[in-house]
Amino acid sequence: MNAVQLDAISKTYGRTRALDVVDLGFDRGVTGLLGPNGAGKTTLLRIVATSIAADGGRLSLLGRDPQGSHDELTAIRRQLGYLPQELGYPSDMTAFGFVEYVAVLKEWNDRDRRHREVRRVLDLVGLAGSATKKVRRLSGGQRRRVALAQALLGEPRILVLDEPTTGLDPTQRADLRRTLSVIADRCTVLLSTHQTEDVAALCERVVVLAGGTVRFDGPVTELVATAAGRVWLSDEPGSDALVSWRTGTGRHHVVGGTPPPGAVETEPTLEDAYLLMLGAEARTVRAPA
Amino acid sequence: MTTRGWHADVPLLTAYLAGSLDAVGGASVEQHLVRCADCRAAIADIVRAPVLKRAWAGVRDTVESPALPLAVRLARRCGVSEPVAVLLAATTSLRTAWLASAFVALGFATAAVLLGGADLLAPFLLVAPMVPVLGVAAAYGPHTDPLESLVGTTPYGRSRLILVRTLAVLVSVLPVTALLGLLLPGPLWLTAGWLGPALALVPVLLALSSFVGPRTGSAVVAIAWSGVVLLSLRVVPATWPVEATQQLVYLALALVSVVVLVVRTHRDRMIGATL
Repeated sequence: MNAVQLDAISKTYGRTRALDVVDLGFDRGVTGLLGPNGAGKTTLLRIVATSIAADGGRLSLLGRDPQGSHDELTAIRRQLGYLPQELGYPSDMTAFGFVEYVAVLKEWNDRDRRHREVRRVLDLVGLAGSATKKVRRLSGGQRRRVALAQALLGEPRILVLDEPTTGLDPTQRADLRRTLSVIADRCTVLLSTHQTEDVAALCERVVVLAGGTVRFDGPVTELVATAAGRVWLSDEPGSDALVSWRTGTGRHHVVGGTPPPGAVETEPTLEDAYLLMLGAEARTVRAPA
Repeated sequence: MTTRGWHADVPLLTAYLAGSLDAVGGASVEQHLVRCADCRAAIADIVRAPVLKRAWAGVRDTVESPALPLAVRLARRCGVSEPVAVLLAATTSLRTAWLASAFVALGFATAAVLLGGADLLAPFLLVAPMVPVLGVAAAYGPHTDPLESLVGTTPYGRSRLILVRTLAVLVSVLPVTALLGLLLPGPLWLTAGWLGPALALVPVLLALSSFVGPRTGSAVVAIAWSGVVLLSLRVVPATWPVEATQQLVYLALALVSVVVLVVRTHRDRMIGATL
């Protein structure tokens, strides 16, 4: 049985269909959600995080029904960590105070145990030295890590991370990858991102969403393989390419279309495969409802 | 820094750790340890790791634990549990600055009535029921609680948090308001009359907020209550807003609001709870 199981899940905001009959199952390991803005990634993650309810379909989390009894829902939430895409930070709270506040909401009632757990997660995200700093005085990357720390409280069995790498510099992203790779053995991690390199580095499985539907679901290597033979290096830009750009070496990276004269086939990246998968849709920015 | 020459031997360091040296001897060893890296290294081998860990955790605990606002510290003394105190400490309307400004406003309203006489109850009647209403409105919602999006996904739950904070706000502001009310001229029923609308408007606010959010909800309640009080200035006696018939209307409004809240929360109690 999967830790997270979505059967025919749908969600509509006004006239916008954010999710359209989505069937997905997730178990241990890290799964990356890719898709353009408005694809339904955040909606899907919010449904799994029990922040909003789906309009249709059936959701099962850890074998329980979040729409069932209050006890069922609370039992699920006890084993859930959630990092929302946008999280406000009370300006006068310290990093420690912020995580401690969420720890109390997660029923860490014993003061000593709670403080030990708060220190553990702050250490885990590399913020042990900033625990007493006001959140407003931290950098954007540090704030994001404080938010991640609260999601890691209590070693949740389901970890839902909505764009966790936003605002992080390359070193911090590498640290986050290391942290997630350690905990991925024990829990189900679902993360959305716009950074294909994060997915390539972190996730064994990738789900591509567009227009509220699943366009691809499988191992990262399989998605990359779909672009084989459709990416070239050339001295000229591709005339009918989906996208092409001049690289640092002076040659053009051509994705899709017909190969320009003298073009040499090259190893596709996950980004190439993602762009080819969605075609023109990858560049479509649809305002979320 | 390392000193040359003399170093504390193991028996001396062990006695220092055990606290068996006299005051002068202990202070001397301590001063030496500050200056001598060799002796610090030597004592590190002797000191028991769990003791050191516990001591360090104690230091961190003292330094890292955020200070609680005055109202919450008082609540702790009155028996409020430590985890609830942490939740209340993050409540905007329980912070010292918010409560102080509310009490200053109440103080001015009371002074205005005392100077104007019993015929001019409006300033107090205008402010007194609004303090708990605005306090409750400022205790939750996306505009005042930046963690709102997260609260709903935790086991504690949003409804419970709102109710705890509502109760805390009422307990914080009502006693002081009641004391100021006793200073007002007129019979006792009149000086306590504000309590009816004050208690009734809170469930009205919560019920309204379940549809339109606390910010709009509090604005609607404030405008409606101001209308009632200001109208009484022109066409009816000053005591009209707190007379018996009107108190029954407030009670009815409160009951209807509670029913609305219960129905909406029950219907939507699982995900995206109403409150």
